Amino acid sequence: MPSETPDFQAYRGTEPPVFQNEAELECAKILDYYGVPWLYEPRTFELEVDEDGRVLEAFAPDFYLPEQDLYLEITVMKQSLVTRKNRKLRKLKERYPDVNIKLFYKRDIERLGQRYGLKLAS
Amino acid sequence: MIGIGDGLKPVTDAVAQLGPAGGHVPHDERIGEVYLSAEEIATRVAELGAEIAADYEGREPLLVASLKASFVFLADLTRAIPILHHLDFVELAGYTSDETGGTPAIRFLKDLDVPLLGRDVVIVEDVVDTGLTLNYLVRNFTLRSPGSLAAVTLLDRPYRRLVDDLPVRYVGFTVPDEFFVGYGFDVDERHRNLPDLHVLRASG
Repeated sequence: MPSETPDFQAYRGTEPPVFQNEAELECAKILDYYGVPWLYEPRTFELEVDEDGRVLEAFAPDFYLPEQDLYLEITVMKQSLVTRKNRKLRKLKERYPDVNIKLFYKRDIERLGQRYGLKLAS
Repeated sequence: MIGIGDGLKPVTDAVAQLGPAGGHVPHDERIGEVYLSAEEIATRVAELGAEIAADYEGREPLLVASLKASFVFLADLTRAIPILHHLDFVELAGYTSDETGGTPAIRFLKDLDVPLLGRDVVIVEDVVDTGLTLNYLVRNFTLRSPGSLAAVTLLDRPYRRLVDDLPVRYVGFTVPDEFFVGYGFDVDERHRNLPDLHVLRASG
């Protein structure tokens, strides 16, 4: 878990976000840097429910960008190793076709770093 | 898997050479194979210049480049546009993640020298991927009431876009999800001067 949580300017949630890893924190900083309003894990989507209505599988994307109406899921895994996440995304798109969601890879953050001198803690 | 579309030149098919014919590439193991040769780039830039000239005939557009990586592209593009036009530059402050107690906000290190009111503005970008930078420029410039606002980019990764609805009217090349060096793109501020666009290899 990241050791610091800065005072975010573009965060639109009420409770302070608790990030799971450095990549999520860096993504939040990048969104803040560009002044793009964001929320952290604002909604959990039910992916599978049994006959009794019990939730068997759910998915809470990491970020939501209200101006873009876009959910973002951050992954620190290599792009070749994200099969499980992609399966969840596919399920979500099947069940909620109107929901826009994209995977934001570590490489995306690194690329922004290449352009703007961002140094990832790894 | 999020696809990258058809018609994309894969890195594996890139020209397996280092540097232009007869040219010299400094030894740096991070400089990979040529993805786009200087000749391929020149051909496409000439086409972009002709398109822009046709679209802006008689309107004397203002080309605004965002430093630094786009300076080589702009230098070639401006000479490929055979109509009257103006040039200006902006530079955005570098993002640093090690600041504490707050998060940095994007800002201009160098702003435009001229007002945009009523001008036909074409933003010149080296690459558009997430669209965050271009989105910031578009939002900022829109507040200055230009007559029109469009963008030209040498490289495009539309499949990485976080911000849609951007005025990217002219695209040089749609490229795969790789890092590049040369033709204005740097690695540790080096190798911007390479005439070809090379794939950047991961360092040790």
